[in-house]
Amino acid sequence: MSQIIKQEKKRSFVTAPTAAVLSLILPGLGQILARRVQRGLLMFGAMASIIGLLVWRITLLGRLADGFWPTLFKSLDRAPMFVGFGLLAIAGLWLWIVIDAAKQTNPNKQFGNSIFVLILVVFFTIGWQISEIDLVKLSSDANEAWVPLSKILWPWEAAVTHDTDTVEAGAKVLVDSEGAAPPVPEKSEGEPYLRVSPRKGELSRLDEDNQAIPGTKITVYGENFEPNTRTQIWWSDSIGNEFRPRYQGEYVSVMTNSEGSFEKEMIMPYRLIPPSAQGQQIHQVMARQVSQVGPPLPSQPLILTIELIIETIFMGMMATIFGIIFSVPISFLAARNLMSTSWITLTIYYLTRTVLNIVRAIEPLIWALIAVVWVGLGPFAGIVALTIHSIAALGKLYSEAIEGINPGPIEAIQATGANKLQTIMYAVVPQMIPPFVSFTIYRWDINVRMSTVIGMVGGGGIGFLLVQYIRLLEYKSAGIAVWFIALTVAILDYVSAEIRQKFV
Amino acid sequence: MLEIKNLTKIYPDGTLALDDVSFTVEDGEFLVVIGLSGSGKSTLLRCINRLIDPTKGQIIMDGQDITAAEPSELRRIRRKIGMIFQHFNLVDRSSVMTNVLSGKLGYINPWASILHKYPPGAKKEAMAALEKVGITDQAAKRADELSGGQRQRVGIARALMQNPSMMLADEPVASLDPVLAHTILGYLEQLNHESHISVICSLHYLDLVQRYASKVIGLRDGQVVYRGDREDIRKMTDEQFKEIYGEEAIRVNAGEFDKGEE
Repeated sequence: MSQIIKQEKKRSFVTAPTAAVLSLILPGLGQILARRVQRGLLMFGAMASIIGLLVWRITLLGRLADGFWPTLFKSLDRAPMFVGFGLLAIAGLWLWIVIDAAKQTNPNKQFGNSIFVLILVVFFTIGWQISEIDLVKLSSDANEAWVPLSKILWPWEAAVTHDTDTVEAGAKVLVDSEGAAPPVPEKSEGEPYLRVSPRKGELSRLDEDNQAIPGTKITVYGENFEPNTRTQIWWSDSIGNEFRPRYQGEYVSVMTNSEGSFEKEMIMPYRLIPPSAQGQQIHQVMARQVSQVGPPLPSQPLILTIELIIETIFMGMMATIFGIIFSVPISFLAARNLMSTSWITLTIYYLTRTVLNIVRAIEPLIWALIAVVWVGLGPFAGIVALTIHSIAALGKLYSEAIEGINPGPIEAIQATGANKLQTIMYAVVPQMIPPFVSFTIYRWDINVRMSTVIGMVGGGGIGFLLVQYIRLLEYKSAGIAVWFIALTVAILDYVSAEIRQKFV
Repeated sequence: MLEIKNLTKIYPDGTLALDDVSFTVEDGEFLVVIGLSGSGKSTLLRCINRLIDPTKGQIIMDGQDITAAEPSELRRIRRKIGMIFQHFNLVDRSSVMTNVLSGKLGYINPWASILHKYPPGAKKEAMAALEKVGITDQAAKRADELSGGQRQRVGIARALMQNPSMMLADEPVASLDPVLAHTILGYLEQLNHESHISVICSLHYLDLVQRYASKVIGLRDGQVVYRGDREDIRKMTDEQFKEIYGEEAIRVNAGEFDKGEE
C-alpha cells in the first residue's frame, strides 16, 4: 500500500497546460510525462486500436468510393449510427484524454478511471459491428426457424410408414401433333376406368415473353374407383415420365362420389417436348388412388438412423479399444517416475509427452479430414481419427495415473519375498484399475459423442446421415437422427457415470 | 542372530544416509532404533531386507550374507523377515483378506498367485493371523474402510503370514494415537516374548523406548551415537537424549501426538 502512495506522490515533469497540449498531439503522451506511464500507454494503445479499427471498418463500408471524403460519406450513409458514434467517440475520448493529462500533473488528483469504462464501451460497439450482430434479424425471421425446429423437435410422423395399395387407370391423349386421336380405352368389368374428352389438344406453353399460354381444356371422367376417396390426377409424357399437373396453382385431384365415379376439368399442363421427339406425341392422363393398408411400419429414415446409430456406437467402441491397445505401452514411456532413471529414458519421456500433447491439441474433426484423404470416406476414417486422438488423450491420462501410484504397497509386497510379477499383480494393478477404468469409460463416452459429429466431414456414422438430411431440407428425418443422438449420448452419460462410480 | 558390519549407504544424489554402522541383534531381542527424522533409521531398516541396496558393508543373518544374495535367494530371505510401516502400506482397494494373504506370496507358485489361487491351508492361516491381532470380523472389508489402528493390525497379520523369524517395524506407531501405540507395540512385544521373533523397531518417544526396548541404538546423521541395553535406557538422561536428537530437542512425552514424517 505504501508503495502505491509513494507512486502517487511522484511529481510531474511537465505543467498542466503542457501535458494537455502533448496529449492533444499524441494521446497519452501528457500522462506519460506526468509520470503516469502505465495510464498513458494504456490510453495511447486504446486510442490507436480504436482509430485503427474504425478506419478499417470505414474503408470496408465505403468500398469503391474514390478519395477520403467520398469514402467517409459513403460509409456514413451505409451505417450512420456506427460511423457517427465512432467518430464522436474518438473526438470525445481525445478531448477527455487531454483534460485527463492536465489533471494527472496534480499529484493529489490522480484518480478517475471512468474514462476506461468509456473506452470499453467503444470497443464493445466496434465489436458489435465487426461481428455483424443484428438483433432485428433475431426476431424478424424467428418464424422461419420455427418450421425446421418444430419438425426436428417432433419428427415422429416421419418415423412410421404404411404399405400402400394403388387403384389406377389411364387414358391416352394426342398432344401438339397431327394425326388421329388415340382410341377410347375399353371398359372391363370390375376394373377402374378412365376416359378423357377431348382426346387431342395443345399443351400449355410459354411465348417469347415467358408468358404462359394455357393449353386445351379437357375433362377427365372416371368410373369404378373406390367411392368417396381422394383421387390424384397424374400426367405421363411420351417417354413415360410421370408428374402431377397443376390447375390454378393446385395439384389436380378430385373426390369420387358414392358410386366411385368422378368428373374433373383441367387444362393440359406445361411440358417441354424434347427436340428429338418425332411423330405423334401420345401422352397419358392417369387417375390414381393411394390408400394405406396394413399396420404402421418403420420408415426408411428410422431404419437408416437405427442402423447408423449402431454403427456410430461401434465406431466409438472400436476407436476406444484401439486407443487402449496403443496408449497403454505409450503411457509407460510418458510416465516420469518410470522414465527418470537416465538421460536417455528422460529424453524419450519428453519426446513422447511432446508428441502426445501435439496430437491431442488437434481436434478429432481435423484428424477425420486427414483420415478421409488417407483411407477414404466411411466409418473406418472416423475410427482412424478417433483412435489417433484417443491414443494421445488416454496416453496422457494413463501416464498420469502411473505417476500417481503409491510406492508404499509395492515396498510392502516386495518385503514379503514376492517376485516382480507378483508385486505388479498385487501392488501395482489394484492401484491402476480405478483410474484406468475411469479414464477408459470417459474416453468411450467422448468417442461415441465425437463419432456422432465426425460423419459431418465424411467419417461415417450418423453424422453423415444427419448432414445429408439437413442439406436436403428433410427436417423430420434429421429430427429422428437428432433424437437418437441425444438419446444415445444421454444413456451413455448415465451408464459411464454408473460404471465409473463402481470402480473408483 | 543378525550382524551388521560397516554398513554404508550413499544415495545417488550424494546424501550419506548411513555411515559405517555396525551392531548385532541377538535372537529374541527387541532392538529399538532412535534418532531424528532423516537420521537414517528408515534406510537402515530397508537395507536389512534390501528394499534399499547398501553401498558398502555386510549384513549377515544366521550366517548368511544378505548383501551378497542372488534375487531368488533374497526372496527366500525376505520371506523370513516381516515388515510393518508407518503408513501401513496396505493395498487400499484390496480386501483385508487379500492383504493378509499377500504375506504368503514368497511361499507360493507365482503363476497360481496371479489367479489368486492359494494352497488349502492359507485362508485358515490368514484367519488365525487376524485373530491374533483381534480383527477377524473385518476380513471381508476393503482395506481403506478400516481405521488407522486396524490397518496397522492388518499389516502385522500380513507379516505374520510370512512366519517370520524377525520383524522390522519402521515407525509403526508414528501415525497412531498413544493408546493405539501401546496396543500395536504390545502385539510386537507379545510376538517377541512368545514366539521369540527378534524385533527391530524405530521409535521417536523416549517413554515408549524405555517401556519396550531390550536394546537401543541411537542414530545421528547416519552414525551410531548411542548404544545401550535395558538398564542404560532406564537411566538415560536428558543430556544423552539431546545428544542423539540434537541440541534443540526437548524431551517430549509419549502422550503427545507426533505428526512428523520420515
